[in-house]
Amino acid sequence: MQSADKYRIAILASYALALHGFEALIPTPIPWLRLGLSNIITVITLFFYGIKPALTVTMIRIVLGSLLLGTFLGPGFFLSLSGGLAGTISMCIVMTLFPGLFGPLGISLIGAFFHNIAQLLTAYLLFVRKIEAILVVFPFLAVAGTVTGAFNGIAAKYLIQEIQKKQIIP
Amino acid sequence: MSIIKTTRADKVLLLICIFLSLYSFAYVKEAMPKGTEVRIEVDGKLKYTFPLNEDRTVEFNGVIGTATVEIKGGKVRMTEAPCPNKVCIHQGWIENGAIICLPNKVVVTISRPDHSKGPDAISG
Repeated sequence: MQSADKYRIAILASYALALHGFEALIPTPIPWLRLGLSNIITVITLFFYGIKPALTVTMIRIVLGSLLLGTFLGPGFFLSLSGGLAGTISMCIVMTLFPGLFGPLGISLIGAFFHNIAQLLTAYLLFVRKIEAILVVFPFLAVAGTVTGAFNGIAAKYLIQEIQKKQIIP
Repeated sequence: MSIIKTTRADKVLLLICIFLSLYSFAYVKEAMPKGTEVRIEVDGKLKYTFPLNEDRTVEFNGVIGTATVEIKGGKVRMTEAPCPNKVCIHQGWIENGAIICLPNKVVVTISRPDHSKGPDAISG
């Protein structure tokens, strides 16, 4: 890895980390409902630099984010880890299999969807063990995932377009 | 790198996501495991437990008078009650949830037989 790449990954990871920490301060009607703003950075990284940097940025964000917020190796950490990895990996797979088919909006929606699926699966396997509880939560998560996924995707699209227009590389 | 924009596939995917997430509310309601047991409580004490899939009519004494509960085809209703406003009777057939007659202190619930004593929720 070139040192310039390391520098970029560090910058992008710190943006993601800042958004991750910021959104932890925003109150939501349900405690574990998060906006997933750091996914904007993941999508941007994926579009500009590809799969490996996107996964690296996600991992740095999850591990450092949980250390900063004090949730490292707690229940929330494993939910965050499974969701973050599943979201990023699913976006990478779709980008590789269908290059150019989806813009940031579609990619972000796919990421949000698999993020939620992985989190529910982790919650079921590790904590809840009650399929009814998972079924009750699923529709709310699906709606929330669609709304936040669409919002983040549109935000990522505008950011990517601005970056391209101004010829600045993050 | 080419100019990034919102593609037609994005819009189609967004519509699919909106539709599926709204549809999942209806789907989950159908897929939920249903209660199998009718429990009749009078004045806070469990009086009868009947399986929901056997049709029967039960007459029993409440606090102020005789009440009649009918179980038929997986549904339950209160057919007779001594209370003045008959809210419990007007509720009609229920498939889940409860019928509560306050004046007579009768509570009819449809529930599942297992009452596992796990934690209500774990938050992170």
